[in-house]
Amino acid sequence: MPLEVRIPPMLRDCASGQTRFSITANTLEEALRRLFETYPLLRVHLYDETQRLRQHVLIFFNGESVAWLDRLDIPVRTGDQLTILQAVSGG
Amino acid sequence: MAYGPSIRVSDDGGQNWTQIAEGPRYPEESGFALNRVWQIVPGHPSERDILYAGVDEAGLFVSRDKGATWTELASLTSHPTRSDWFPGAGGLCLHTILIHPDNPRRMWVGISAVGVFRTDDGGETWRTCNEGLARVPVGTPHPEVGYCVHKMVLDPDDPDTLYMQYHQGVFQSNDGAETWFPIEDGLPGDRISTELGAPFGFPIVISRSGDCFLVPLESSDQRTMRDGRLLVYGRRRGSDRWEPVGDVVPDEPRHVNVLRDAMTVDSLEPYGVYFGTTSGEVFCSIDGGVGWDRLPGQYGRILCVKPWIQEGEYAA
Repeated sequence: MPLEVRIPPMLRDCASGQTRFSITANTLEEALRRLFETYPLLRVHLYDETQRLRQHVLIFFNGESVAWLDRLDIPVRTGDQLTILQAVSGG
Repeated sequence: MAYGPSIRVSDDGGQNWTQIAEGPRYPEESGFALNRVWQIVPGHPSERDILYAGVDEAGLFVSRDKGATWTELASLTSHPTRSDWFPGAGGLCLHTILIHPDNPRRMWVGISAVGVFRTDDGGETWRTCNEGLARVPVGTPHPEVGYCVHKMVLDPDDPDTLYMQYHQGVFQSNDGAETWFPIEDGLPGDRISTELGAPFGFPIVISRSGDCFLVPLESSDQRTMRDGRLLVYGRRRGSDRWEPVGDVVPDEPRHVNVLRDAMTVDSLEPYGVYFGTTSGEVFCSIDGGVGWDRLPGQYGRILCVKPWIQEGEYAA
């Protein structure tokens, strides 16, 4: 099932210049795995070495933060969206 | 260029940037997380393929293939004091990397709010170098760390001499960072007075001729220019006193900050001094800090200013 993925423009060079694209997967878990298999440069921006989602990053599955989901084996349905947001800061 | 936890490379003067696939990354079993890359510096001139990167959470990485792949110098993060490393307001960042000009095996790094470490064997072992710096006692088992170094530079003529803008004052070492002493004559602030506090700021830079520059702020509590005056202070070679060398914008108050990597000096003669503010303005002096101009443009918060010389012209 195709899932629409949206990423911040600052990360488009990690996804062949795209900010919107499709990933085909049966579950949310599979979609995330395929996302990083297809675009491995994205991973470092979203997860740290301890596999924790970075503090300034949010990943939404249909408007619900994946950090708050109890499980990721949720079936993907037509029209589902995965949206990645990041706060940009510095010091 | 550092972008968050990644390093990007441009081979067309900054028009396009490409992320390095195998950038700095802690081993998963280390338990450390690389949050941001803070500093990228070339290795010793005799080792042209080497680059170093300082990161938050504090650690040092080396590339021996011009940045294509990176390895952590784990001897630093396995230092016996590591359990007592705690972050400053900007994070637990390794923000300064200095390499001895005659001995590539001697290096210094600065970590907020941990202190200075030196290696004399190319990064195999590290020792703390914070004697003489002011420290707030926090009761941790390792009093040799807990020092909030903001920025540090090496004297171009004497690699045993270093200068430091510290959280509580400005310091110099004449013995390779074994010991430090304050050099604050002429600077606003007073380490004796609790009201004024020791001179506070972030960047410190040095010209090839040995002139130092910094930008004092009001205080640790109020991190903006004192009275809104955008004053740069210089300590010329041969002098033991800081002097205000430029009232950069005399007619308008600028209640801004200048971050630790947002000030630099070029290698021309006479040399130029440049800095950017947290409100996005860039100022330059092409005559060693005597006269100042505001460069065109209004930007976001300026994190870093770097000059480079390019075929008879220069850019910052």
